[in-house]
Amino acid sequence: MKKKSWAWITGLLLAAGLAFAGPGNNSLVVGASQEPRVIGDFWSFVSSAAIASEIENFLWAGLEYIDINGKDHAYLATEVPTVENGRVKVTDIGKGKKRIDIKYTLRDDIYWSDGTPITTKDVAFYYEVGKYPGAPVQDPSYWKRISLKVLDDKNFVVSFEPAYFYDLVGSAIGLAPEHVMRAEWEKTKAEIKKLDPKKDAAKITELFQGFVAKFATPQALNQGKLVFSGPFTLKKWVPGSSMELVRNKRFFITPPGGADKYVQRVTYRFITDTNALLVAILGGGVDATSSVALTFDQARAPQLVRRAKGRYQIWAVPGVIWEHAEVNKFANVQEVKDLMLDKKETRQALLYAMNRQGLVDAFFDGLQPVADTWVHFQDPNFNKNVKKYPYDPEKAKKILASLGWKMGPDGILERTTKDGRKVKFVLEYVTTAGNRIRERTEVFFQNDLKKVGIKVKINNAPASVVFSNDFFSKAYDGSWKGLFEFAWLFGIVDDAGVFTCHDYLTGETYVPTPKNNYSGVNFNWCNEEFDRLRAKAMIEFDANKRREYWQKMQAIWAEEVPALPYYWRSNPIVVKNGLVNFVSSTYFGSFGYPTTTAWLIGWKSRGAKPVYDQAKYGINVLEQK
Amino acid sequence: MLAYTLRRLLQMIPLLFFVSLAIYTLVALQPGDPLEGLIFQNPHLTQEDIAELKHAYGLDQPIHIRYFKWLGRALQGDLGVSRTYAQPAAEFIYHRMQNTLLLTGLSFLLALLVAIPVGVFSAVRQYSLPDYVVTFLSFVGYSTPVFWLGIMLMLLFAVWLPDRLGLDHPIFPVGGFASPGVDPQSVGWAAYLKDRIWHLVLPVFTLSVLSMASWTRFTRSSVLEVLSQDYIRTARAKGLAERVVIYKHALRNALIPIVTLVGLAIPGLFSGAVITETIFSWPGMGRALFDALLEKDYNVAMAALVFLAFLTALFNLLADLAYAVVDPRIRYS
Repeated sequence: MKKKSWAWITGLLLAAGLAFAGPGNNSLVVGASQEPRVIGDFWSFVSSAAIASEIENFLWAGLEYIDINGKDHAYLATEVPTVENGRVKVTDIGKGKKRIDIKYTLRDDIYWSDGTPITTKDVAFYYEVGKYPGAPVQDPSYWKRISLKVLDDKNFVVSFEPAYFYDLVGSAIGLAPEHVMRAEWEKTKAEIKKLDPKKDAAKITELFQGFVAKFATPQALNQGKLVFSGPFTLKKWVPGSSMELVRNKRFFITPPGGADKYVQRVTYRFITDTNALLVAILGGGVDATSSVALTFDQARAPQLVRRAKGRYQIWAVPGVIWEHAEVNKFANVQEVKDLMLDKKETRQALLYAMNRQGLVDAFFDGLQPVADTWVHFQDPNFNKNVKKYPYDPEKAKKILASLGWKMGPDGILERTTKDGRKVKFVLEYVTTAGNRIRERTEVFFQNDLKKVGIKVKINNAPASVVFSNDFFSKAYDGSWKGLFEFAWLFGIVDDAGVFTCHDYLTGETYVPTPKNNYSGVNFNWCNEEFDRLRAKAMIEFDANKRREYWQKMQAIWAEEVPALPYYWRSNPIVVKNGLVNFVSSTYFGSFGYPTTTAWLIGWKSRGAKPVYDQAKYGINVLEQK
Repeated sequence: MLAYTLRRLLQMIPLLFFVSLAIYTLVALQPGDPLEGLIFQNPHLTQEDIAELKHAYGLDQPIHIRYFKWLGRALQGDLGVSRTYAQPAAEFIYHRMQNTLLLTGLSFLLALLVAIPVGVFSAVRQYSLPDYVVTFLSFVGYSTPVFWLGIMLMLLFAVWLPDRLGLDHPIFPVGGFASPGVDPQSVGWAAYLKDRIWHLVLPVFTLSVLSMASWTRFTRSSVLEVLSQDYIRTARAKGLAERVVIYKHALRNALIPIVTLVGLAIPGLFSGAVITETIFSWPGMGRALFDALLEKDYNVAMAALVFLAFLTALFNLLADLAYAVVDPRIRYS
């Protein structure tokens, strides 16, 4: 071979070497199947994607974080405010409402990456922008209820009125670098003032987004427009390809043994095609997968499992995504009335007839746990003693018989209604077309239900159709008439709003009907006791008392089964052997982000000390196989 | 010719107006709107909150009002801001277009450089073993799904071959645009260029296979048709060398339909290749347009689609004009 050819090959292999780092140069390559659009959009004016939150854990610190056990942990604040330490004051403001005042103190040793101290000016700036009229905030209730009082450079009080229990979970307020963003904000404010909020709302939104874009887009970040407060800083972002982060020398936490023992450079590789991501893992080009990476099936792919020995571990971490089927309970819909879906006995019979454990075993090797209610088994308020519905088709048949159903000659249950019509138990089942797991699930349950005489009629449509307002929210008008399988994401601050009929605190009704302009996502399950307990729990700041209310609510829910709980989805993560503290748990960083305590991530061979044990928080897929 | 060209250019104005109206209507009529997903992230949102947000994003207005507002701004050169990227739509598309043109342009060139000589070779040796081999490979290339080929090539060069050769890194990378940390400042231009080429090999090859296969077949049949013409027989009868007969008399005439076909394929270079770009994590127009449509990012979708419509109309005109250039029998008045 000619000399020139060798030179080319050497060059290419050199480049390959640069792409493949790992413990050799104390770096880490994380593979993700999504890419954030912006990073550092502190107010979520543009986007609030999970992948952005995961990466932002490397770059910015909050006042508190949710630790691996789901508990609040102080971060930039000196301590977590509680009633016991006198930092939280609860005041009764009448009409069953409460106000809370939360006092925070910032640490003395915290700096932005350019050396500027982090002070209450940064908190006040965050507040000023988010609260500004016309700001396109995605959680209007939060911004309507919050107020801020700055005491000095390090102390401030955040108040909520009315206040809810979740205002005390995680950081009560954010912060943004005032010294770098102020000038641009003043220009934006001047532009906004020229406009009419009623006529020019869209233009004002663009101005807010334009303000964020000055700092948070790849171009702005590559020009060094933003500063960082987390354990890493952003070095370079190649949109559509990769993002490079390097250790922040100004970060205030020193991991055990010294920061030089932990990864110094992190590269996110964005590989949107998950099959290509799987190949990248097989080829050794990825050290760990993001919380947004492989599908559950891909993580158990024989190619990956066969190759894992001596190379990497595959974990299934129970997540907070609740796969279930909503039941249309609007009795004004003829099909609902005919099938008596508004009666709890019918829903109980359906659950007894559906082999959920069989489904989980058959499709997921048992790695996605069956759900009993909407409350996760890792949630501190979880009630394990609720009524359960193990697979029992005989019991289902008995319940259905007690409701007047008889087996027809064609093997389908039938009954005669009060007005003399003969109806057959033909149940509509809707889910998102193209989602293979859901399509398999409905066929599995179709088969189960057939055994008790229920014929399932599948009526799938693309996600954009079934989740459109005209379809999803209009069950009252019979847009869907039976079961609707999809998933809710119930974080650690879930307030049972999905199952609330009447909100005694706000007076609103969450059952979508023409009367309330189809507001809410409760498809007509109204239980007064449940609603009253929920109203008490919402303003109960004593965790033990709140747990009592929550457990009673679960007992009621499990008896009534307003929806059919299937299973909790697990997040698969793949981690190379020797990488420590890249660990996920159900509530780590609220939604299981393995980067929540990013300063601890390192290679054992480089001296990093293992602090967490993934085996405590997830199931080893390789041991299951 | 000039009058004809001007007339065709003027006809493009109403054409683009109706095309933009049709595209805007179709994009806006997709089920759901960009904010409906918010309720799944935050079930606390009331209909009033959603109505406020719709007002804030201008989504509460009827489609025709929104369209004419968009058109008014577009005529002043303002294509709006991407809702999901927070960047001016034109700037965003410009960046993506550069990446796409690099990928599609190279694959286009590769396909042409392979397809025309191989097609001529195959036609000249009709029904010989090499012709059968080329025909077989063309059909294989034509019928191989791009997503499958891409993944197989990645497996071959990033997993199987490195395993067999005992390498701890891939021969070609699993997608991406460039290696992280490799830029001209840190590694120098030579290493940077090598890295970029290294990343281009598999996607360019994958993307060119289909065109290569179809253009080879097209060239073969076009050359075969010309070879049976009387003037070729005459050229051979008067004793011209076979090389001259093929390349001077046959190929030049056979190229007329090929030029048209290739000319009409040029707008496709700008629209990108969704599947190839997705598999190889290539940040190009195809992926950007696909994502914009999925996420209902109207400004990006409109800017990209109207620009592509303009290019299609323009290259149709250029192809028509090219007929007159390559075929003296055609005259426009």
